[in-house]
Amino acid sequence: MIESMTQAAGTGDMPRVEEFKAEIGEMRLRDPSTARDRQLLRLGVALLVVGVALTVIAYFMSHGTTNPLSQGDATILALAGVAVSVAGGTLFLRYSLATFLRFWLARLIYEQQAQTDRIVGQTDAAPR
Amino acid sequence: MTLAAEATTTDRVSTPLLELRDIRAAYDGINVLRGVDLVVPEATVVAVLGPNGAGKTTTLKVAAGLHPASGGDILVAGRRVNGARPDELARRGLCLIPEGRGIFPNLTVRENLWMMSHCRRQLADIEELTYARFPRLRQRHTQLAGTLSGGEQQMLALARGLATDPAVLMLDELSMGLAPIVVEDLYQLVASVAKEGVSILVVEQFARIVMDVADWAAVMVQGRVTLTGRPRDLEDTLSSAYLGG
Repeated sequence: MIESMTQAAGTGDMPRVEEFKAEIGEMRLRDPSTARDRQLLRLGVALLVVGVALTVIAYFMSHGTTNPLSQGDATILALAGVAVSVAGGTLFLRYSLATFLRFWLARLIYEQQAQTDRIVGQTDAAPR
Repeated sequence: MTLAAEATTTDRVSTPLLELRDIRAAYDGINVLRGVDLVVPEATVVAVLGPNGAGKTTTLKVAAGLHPASGGDILVAGRRVNGARPDELARRGLCLIPEGRGIFPNLTVRENLWMMSHCRRQLADIEELTYARFPRLRQRHTQLAGTLSGGEQQMLALARGLATDPAVLMLDELSMGLAPIVVEDLYQLVASVAKEGVSILVVEQFARIVMDVADWAAVMVQGRVTLTGRPRDLEDTLSSAYLGG
């Protein structure tokens, strides 16, 4: 059955087929998960900025009043700002690292393939 | 052994031009494809057979990028293309001729062909090739496509598909609504196209029509490929596969 399937398959030396393979190989494809990663990365940055802004606002709230109740509110707001910043920072770190590691892995695989090709080339060229 | 497993062995010879691995797809949360494995090697005609509602058309739509797969991998020329735009795939040579012909009924035959000149070929080349393959379309070239007979409309749909110079041609129910003699002629043409090196994935509800043309066949039932093999080898088991026996 396997042999018959193999026989049914072409030889792969048809120019149109080769052209098709090359064109599919050159296609720029966007992985849907990458788009989601990018959105979460942006959300992380936004939360980081919002957190810092909340803390600054809380400082001015507390500074502009002598009312202990308002100062208590400002303290809570500042703490919430710190929490939002930490959450945003974590998201940013998580997804920027993922992007970096993806590139690093692709680079590593490319280097390894290039190295293998070099070794095979040298081995083939070496006198026997 | 499944078709996918066989393809792994086939890979050593050449990469299949189209491969579906454990494809799942749904319409509004209702699962239609439940793990479809299918391989279309180079210069091969693969027939997907099965009863109405088995998921054959959805399989083609997923392969062409017209319907999203909720799981699994779509590999074209060995590359995973899940999420690729259907027009990008079509421009590169993955051509789907849909059920119901996919022509412009209010345009003439010539204008329908003209619409395909955005791809690789000029209108003059398309016309030359089309009229050589379908002499009847030459006689009808000024006629509105909607006024052609069913067979002529299907010829026009095929001609439009072939005008894109496809590497993989997917045909959905070519025989639908046509007289048996017309269907026979069309499938002879499909066989001649396959001989030119085009890989063909053909979906048919009426299995016997494609038996002489296909090199390989897969039977789909309830969203899964349940049987694969040479068409002639499957002939005896088809009835029980269709009826779920």
